[in-house]
Order: sequence, then structure tokens, then C-alpha cells
Amino acid sequence: MSAHDWFVEHRTSFVVRSLEAEEESTFRTHLEGCEDCREAIHQIEQELAWLPLGTTPVTPRPELQRRLVESALGIRPRRSFAPLLAAAASLVLAVGAWAWATSRVRSAEKTAERARVSLSHQLEMARDTLEIMRTADRVRHASIRMGEQEGGMVIFADDRTHMWNVVVYGLPAPEPGKMCQFWFITETGMVRGVEVKTGEGTPAFLTLPMPPSGGPVMGAALTIESMGSSSAQPEGKELAHLML
Amino acid sequence: MPRSIPSKRPPNPGTPGRGLLSRERETSLYNRLLARDEQALIELVDLATPWLLGVAYGMLSDRDEAEEVVQEAFNIVWRRVDLYDGAEGGLMAWILRIARNRAIDRLRRQKRQIGKIERYRTFGEAGEGWTRPVEPNEAAMPGWHVHEAVHQALRGLSEEQAAVVQLAYFEGLTHSEIAARLGIPLGTVKTRLRLAFEKLRLSLASIKDWVV
Repeated sequence: MSAHDWFVEHRTSFVVRSLEAEEESTFRTHLEGCEDCREAIHQIEQELAWLPLGTTPVTPRPELQRRLVESALGIRPRRSFAPLLAAAASLVLAVGAWAWATSRVRSAEKTAERARVSLSHQLEMARDTLEIMRTADRVRHASIRMGEQEGGMVIFADDRTHMWNVVVYGLPAPEPGKMCQFWFITETGMVRGVEVKTGEGTPAFLTLPMPPSGGPVMGAALTIESMGSSSAQPEGKELAHLML
Repeated sequence: MPRSIPSKRPPNPGTPGRGLLSRERETSLYNRLLARDEQALIELVDLATPWLLGVAYGMLSDRDEAEEVVQEAFNIVWRRVDLYDGAEGGLMAWILRIARNRAIDRLRRQKRQIGKIERYRTFGEAGEGWTRPVEPNEAAMPGWHVHEAVHQALRGLSEEQAAVVQLAYFEGLTHSEIAARLGIPLGTVKTRLRLAFEKLRLSLASIKDWVV
């Protein structure tokens, strides 16, 4: 067996690349100077050209073909901003949700605080009212008749705190353009108090400090006045007049 | 002026339209690739990728690495299409050979044989690789008739010969690796391979001028 016989014997192995690395290198060197082997190798390559198609084809993953084309063309892979946008959107949503939740919490806290303050205030008022009623030095009552309805006005006067609790009950709503007005009767005359809402089905409770002018308060009156009137003296029909 | 492929292949009037690449289309693709027609590259990628992936995956058993091999192959095709001389089966066969060689280079560089041998021991006997179940739509795939013809030729081998061909050609092992894998003498491997490829060369000679 000559040295060349080895190459002849291993031509196909060279083509299919089953030679060891050193053998392959030796064969490659041999080919440079051996026309016969080159032609034989060429012939074998032609004959086995389709042998690779004995493999089972593999379905490319999505986007692979685009990546292959871009790579061959030297195009840098298109940077997909979708994940970035998605992350940014998620972040915005998260921040938005956090801000919304925070604002909701703050709003709820403010509402709760307002409710707490209001309740506290109402509780304080109720306590004061009850306290005034409970410790009232003087209690006066006047019956009031308006048409078919009969109601009244009760005054609880607390001399210690100089506060009155006034309850007006059982009265209908005034005629249109009219209002029910509470007055203090002082040593120097009548002093306008507050409007009393009547006709709402429930008694009107008023907690009133003494007026700053007019001197000592001697009593109270309830009148029907024109809506918007600012007269310093009663001009309308008097419903009740109480002297302490 | 378009270049004609300097092919040694005779015209192939006996198999017109059997495959994807008619001679006219192959010439057209080649000239367009030479002219840097990107659309030609896209067509080629669509046409050849499943087969190139199959070749590379059969050797590397790793999808990511197989995709890298295919990418390298298309890079070579696009940048050095001028190296193609029309011989050895045509443009498609040239690309298949590039991909196969790149896969073998990678396989040997990374000495993946050890892992493959381990996988082999785990999963079974030689020859299983090319009897993998095929996807139902593959019959419609361009080149499928060639695939069937190759398998017809492979079925003409004895079981022992088929095993060494599978390991040598489709899995990229060397003689000594095959001997170790099958636990047979090196000389036996060489003999089986020589006889097997003599049969295959005869069987496949009739389709060497086919177009895919």
C-alpha cells in the first residue's frame, strides 16, 4: 500500500469530514499537489451534494429569518423598544396607580379628618347644648299658632355661659318671599338675631350667644319678615314674644 | 450583464418544476445576489433556513448554536457569493455545505462530542436522529422530494452502515469518535463508512442534478 493509497481510501471521509483533525490537515496539504485527488474529491462532493437534505428540517423560530437577513446585510439588530415602552408604561401605570392610591388615601384622610373635626364640633355643640339645657337657669316656652298648625319656641338660658339654646318646633314654612326671624329683646330695644328655618319637619335648634350690643338681654321675639330685609327693627307679624 | 453560473451540471429537463429552485430561478438568484439585491437574500433565507437549521441542529443539538451557524452561513453567502462557482450541486448545495462545515467546525472547536456521547448513552442507539418524526406539513416544504430521495438511499444501507453514516455525516463525529461511541474497532468504522458511502454515491448520483 503506497502513501497515495491512503488518500485514495480516505477521499470520501475527507469530503464528509470524518477524518481526525491531523488527518484532515494532512489530506488538505496533499490536495494542493494532487490533481487526481482534487478531481475525485470534486466528483464525490457532487455526488453527495444533496446528502445534507437527509436531515429533518427545523421550523425557524419567529423573527429568525429577519435576524438572518439583518445580520447578513450588516444591519444592527433593530432595537425593539417594545419591552422598554412596556416597562415605561408599566412604570407610569405603577407611579400613576401609586399617586392615585396616595391621593385617594390622602383624600380619604382629609375627608376623615374633616368628618372627625365636624363630628367633634357637632359633639362639642351637642355637649354644649345638652349642658346648656341641663344647667339652664331659666327655661321659657311660648306657644305659636300659624293657621292650622300649632308649634312653639323654647328658650334655655344659661347665665353662667351667657348662652341660649332656642328650640322652635311645629311651625310651617313661611310664605314665599318671607322668612322667620329671631330677635333679642334688650334694654335698649330689639336686636336682630338669626333666621330660623321652619317647615322642615324637625325642630330648629339654635345655640346663641348674647348680642354684643343693646345691653342686657331681657327676652326674645320671633317674627315673619320679608326675605332679604335688614331692618334693625321688626316690621312683620310677630309670632312669639318671651320675657325672661 | 448578468453572469451565468459556470455549472458543470447538464440541463435538467427531466425534472422541471419538481423543486423549488428551477435552473432559471437559481441563475436569477445568483445574479441578484451578485448584484447585492437584498430581496434575493430574503428569498434565499426563506427557502433554505429550515434545511440549514436541520443540518446544524443535527450536529449541535442546540437550537441557539444552530441558529448562529445558519447566520454565519448566510453572512458568507451574502458577502462572498462570488466564491460560488456553480459546481457541486448548485447554489443550494453550496449553502448546505457551508452550513454543515461551520457546524462541524463549531462542534469540534467546542469539543461537544463528550456531551453528545453522554446524550447518546442516555437516549438510545445510533440512527435515531434521522428517524425523528417529521412535521405533518413538511411534505409541502421545498426540497422535500430530495429529502425523500436521500432517505430512500439511506434505507438501502444495512443497519450497521446506516448507524455509522448517521454519526459521521449527520452528527459530525470522526472515525475515532464513532468507534468509541459504538464500541467497535476503528478499522471496522472505516470499512463500514467506505462501503456505506460507495452505496450512497451510487444511489445519490441519480439526483445530483436535481434542483430543490
